[in-house]
Amino acid sequence: MEGSTRTVAGQSHRLGSGGQIDRNAPLNFTFDGKTMTGFAGDTLASALVANGVRLVGRSFKYHRPRGILTAGPEEPNALVELRTGARREANTRATTAELYDGLVAQSQNRWPSLRNDLMSVNSLFSPIFVAGFYYKTFMWPAKFWEALYEPAIRRAAGLGKTAGIADPDHYDKAWAHCDVLVVGGGATGLAAALAAGRAGARVIICDDDSRLGGRLLSDGGEIDGIDALDWLQGAIAELSSLPNVRIMTRTAVFGVYDGGDFGVLERVNDHLPQPPEHQVRQRLWRISAKRSIVGAGAIERPIVFPGNDRPAVMMASAVRTYVNRFAALPGKRIALFVNNDDGWSTVDAIRRAGAEVAAVIDPRGKAAVGDYSGVRVVQGVVSDVGGGVDGVSSVTVNGAGGIQKIEADCLAMSGGWNPNLALSCFHRGKPAWRDDIAAFVPANAPTGMTMAGAANGDLSLGACLRTGHAAGAMAAAEAGAKGKAGNAAKASDEAFAIKPLWHVQVKGKAFVDFQHDVTASDVQLAQREGFESVEHLKRYTTLGMATDQGKTSNVTGLAIMADAVGRSIADTGTTVYRPPYAPVAIGALAGHNRDENFHATRLTPSHHWAAERGAVFVDTGLWKRAQWFPLPGETDWLQSVTREVLAVRNGVGFCDVSTLGKVDVRGADAGTFLDRVYINAFASLAVGKARYGLMLREDGIVMDDGTTSRLAEDHYLMTTTTAKAGPVMQHLEFCRQVLWPELDVQLSSATDQWAQFSIAGPRTRDLLQALVDPSEDMSNEGFPFMGVRTVKLRGGMDARLFRISFSGEMAFEIAVPARYGGAMARNLMIAGEPFGVTPYGTEALGVMRIEKGHVAGPELNGTTTAGDLGLGKMASKKKDFIGRVLSQREALTAPDRQVVVGIRPLDKARRLRSGAHIIPKGGIPGPETDQGYVTSVCFSPTQNQWLGLGLVSHGAERHGEIVKAHDPLRNETYDVELCSPVFYDPEGVRQRA
Amino acid sequence: MPDFLWNSQSPLEKAVIAGRHGAGKGTPGVSLSHVGDIALVQVMARRGRNADVAKAAKKLFGTETPAMLKVANGKSATLIWSGPDQFLAFSQQPRSAPSLEQMEEAFAGTASLSNQSDGRCLIRISGPSANDALAKLTSLDLHDSVFPVGAAATTSIDHTAVNFWREADDAGANPAYAMLVFTSFADTLWHLIVDSSLEYGVEVAAIGAGH
Repeated sequence: MEGSTRTVAGQSHRLGSGGQIDRNAPLNFTFDGKTMTGFAGDTLASALVANGVRLVGRSFKYHRPRGILTAGPEEPNALVELRTGARREANTRATTAELYDGLVAQSQNRWPSLRNDLMSVNSLFSPIFVAGFYYKTFMWPAKFWEALYEPAIRRAAGLGKTAGIADPDHYDKAWAHCDVLVVGGGATGLAAALAAGRAGARVIICDDDSRLGGRLLSDGGEIDGIDALDWLQGAIAELSSLPNVRIMTRTAVFGVYDGGDFGVLERVNDHLPQPPEHQVRQRLWRISAKRSIVGAGAIERPIVFPGNDRPAVMMASAVRTYVNRFAALPGKRIALFVNNDDGWSTVDAIRRAGAEVAAVIDPRGKAAVGDYSGVRVVQGVVSDVGGGVDGVSSVTVNGAGGIQKIEADCLAMSGGWNPNLALSCFHRGKPAWRDDIAAFVPANAPTGMTMAGAANGDLSLGACLRTGHAAGAMAAAEAGAKGKAGNAAKASDEAFAIKPLWHVQVKGKAFVDFQHDVTASDVQLAQREGFESVEHLKRYTTLGMATDQGKTSNVTGLAIMADAVGRSIADTGTTVYRPPYAPVAIGALAGHNRDENFHATRLTPSHHWAAERGAVFVDTGLWKRAQWFPLPGETDWLQSVTREVLAVRNGVGFCDVSTLGKVDVRGADAGTFLDRVYINAFASLAVGKARYGLMLREDGIVMDDGTTSRLAEDHYLMTTTTAKAGPVMQHLEFCRQVLWPELDVQLSSATDQWAQFSIAGPRTRDLLQALVDPSEDMSNEGFPFMGVRTVKLRGGMDARLFRISFSGEMAFEIAVPARYGGAMARNLMIAGEPFGVTPYGTEALGVMRIEKGHVAGPELNGTTTAGDLGLGKMASKKKDFIGRVLSQREALTAPDRQVVVGIRPLDKARRLRSGAHIIPKGGIPGPETDQGYVTSVCFSPTQNQWLGLGLVSHGAERHGEIVKAHDPLRNETYDVELCSPVFYDPEGVRQRA
Repeated sequence: MPDFLWNSQSPLEKAVIAGRHGAGKGTPGVSLSHVGDIALVQVMARRGRNADVAKAAKKLFGTETPAMLKVANGKSATLIWSGPDQFLAFSQQPRSAPSLEQMEEAFAGTASLSNQSDGRCLIRISGPSANDALAKLTSLDLHDSVFPVGAAATTSIDHTAVNFWREADDAGANPAYAMLVFTSFADTLWHLIVDSSLEYGVEVAAIGAGH
């Protein structure tokens, strides 16, 4: 394809033929409000190149004009805000953004416009914006930092702006599994995937690009005697025909984790204006692979010289990509500055495109192997680049023949290639230095990972195909595939000679890290100031800490440091490599788990019934529980809750308590098991009886409480708190499986099997009598306090009935299989109708337990002992149990421990607040005087005032003492009385009625 | 005296909306169904009584107890491995399966039984894209070579414990799976499964009931 510079209408730098774009599919887009045209197959960057756009952004610190440096994901300069409104995406690399019709992009970090950026004044002050500038300048006075310095710096810094509103698109996460994961779809990856796929292994091949091919798409060549692009088509066709091979394009492998798990991001619909209906924008994959092959290629590195950041100074490989793949000409008279043979291949690309090669500047002073007749070769280095915001006009060369100026509108540079070895280092692998290619290569990749091709330092096309094939065949065999891998494709091993050149040491601002504006002199200054370690260098200068993570700058930076220190590059070493290798949107990490899907929810068996009654729900852990049931006319939660409490205290009410954990404990040794788990005795509990139990952690602190019933000789039903149901089950399984495997005990969770309701209030028995079969004896003798049995209900239903009370009232809990939960709620309403039955929620439940002085979550808070809760006497002295020994530690038995006490404000109108601290009367609030705090509060309708429970030092001996409650959050201090925690029916007459 | 009706209610009665949802119009990528009023009993061998449990199971269900990570299909129930020394006896037709009382008698002294008929909820998923939808929900490798018909796993979906097994392929030779999820989680997991299936097109069957 002898190219021509005949341009496409409106696209000043588009070639009339060639490239892998579809000239029949023009796409309109706008950049900074200007409408332009590209073609299907373009990236935003290639379309900008085709339209002759040079200036695309401003740098981070100095606001220097910047152009497109690369043609791949390593791009440091060409970052744009892509899309508008809620879909606006800051810092998007123009080199990876695929063009679509209607694409809108804005340049960043400039004001008022890209061409006239007022902040570029920073460049004039650049002598003071050196390495460590912020550390040195904004140190004193320290208190200015938060109020003054940081806000000002934050305004001036930053690149693009986020949308600031919720992302309207959907993301999800998925798992995939394979024998062999191939990272990279270039020559190496294709050879590996073909070998492993032919052998019969399950293969996944991922490539970040929209199509497979890697550098083949840009550099072409000849494979197996045919054009590389034709070979590529054949390879893709063969892979597609293999049912055991999965091809994932637009997919970046960003991390490797333990056990062969890989973090992978698929940009499913980023190439479209918005995802089609029901589809996600991006998908986060976790790929589990037995073996992996990384053929991630290499990244060409810039040379550091004054003016190397001017728009239209570009990587040589990028020039070839724009010309060959996209038929877009970065310049019409292009100079080359290279130190290696590979860079010379750019000459062919420029010539075939019909553009002019201004000169090849090579410090080695000789042409690479090949036909370069007619090319002007200058032995020397580039010492400056002339031009303006819109690009290059000339290149100044310091050479054997003195200083000369060469006219050019684009400078292509190549300082060599850095193998893309990040994945090999994510398990703390340290790369090794290879002098012959002047680059780091992988040395100790994670288990199961093979590095191949250019990523392993084998830079020739022939070597890529050979090593990729070998790695694929070996990985497949190791994963157990038995088939034949076939033969490796063949290509020539083009020479790669290089003479290291990192930094042209002349006066002028020469950039190492383009995105963070780190110059060679910043690196040298860091060394002079003692920051010699590469880790210090990174943090002091911010080298490699921008969004590109130093893909084009890290190695060069440490080479300049090595030179400044006088060490070898190998001895200087690299910074630690950490995932993610590529940017991962937070949205992708969240996946489906946002908004109402943030986490799973659990619904009680009467949920839909409660919802129909207009219940207000509260999240308690994963559960949705009815918090209160407002009636028409009620405007305030306290109004509803107070009504519900009084209805229970004066009549009867019911509450869904299905959320409490229920564990079936069975087996011949069930009683022994519970004796060891609880501090009190259960083996002695009679069948048909319930008992309150308390269990400790090994360290002697209270773990959980609940009522456990004995349903049969070898069957107990344990209940736990709602919050601790899961942890208690884990604890019990640990005890059963690990501590006492000799016991005959079987455990199963019965929480979800039962719909359970607490029925409470003086009219409870009346309600139950209407519901149960007339044959059931519901008298106090026939069904005593703490009794348990199965009863028949009217209408043909069996229920478990437990006579237990949390509210302090005469109360039962009734349980039926969960499928009848809705029916039970309706039937309780019917049976209780004559008695004014009132459904109540968790708030009323909480009020009644506080009035009754029952401890709950705020008191069982992971710091309290049984003694602190006033339950110390429950601990059996006749048996051993978990937590017994450590509960007797000095600290846990100290006399000044904070123990549960009732608290009541002296001013009856005063609202008591949870969290308020207790200090002695006359004490000044502070750590020295602090004696405890308020744990639970409620407005008590029966006492007609706010009251609460607290944990207070020596609390049990101080009933009647007046102290102060101090609430620093609300800046309140008021008098309260310490008292018995049992405010309501202290004799416990009502619950036994 | 008022009449007390005891109508059973599926935890999915609000969530299941029968019909076609999501993308496309042709063959749905995913088919979803739920059957309520099942019979499900967790059978846990007493210490050292595995052999007796196997014998009793063979007599009662006409099948061996399931091997690790497998299901065993009996005459009247499917036995699903659910952990060391335990399995779930599942039947979609409770009336033709052994009653809990019959099971108590058959396993007396050899196993502890826990009725989970209301504790778990049955959800079935099948279709040409079932594996793609499930890839978003489970870390299991569902490839034929790893998870063939008859394979079972005790696993988690959205951090929730699930018993999951592969049933015989559907009429279109597509993979078919069943899962038992905790009843209180059924509504939230159903929505998650539907959401995960929308892009493939999903056909939701009306709620079925055990007989």
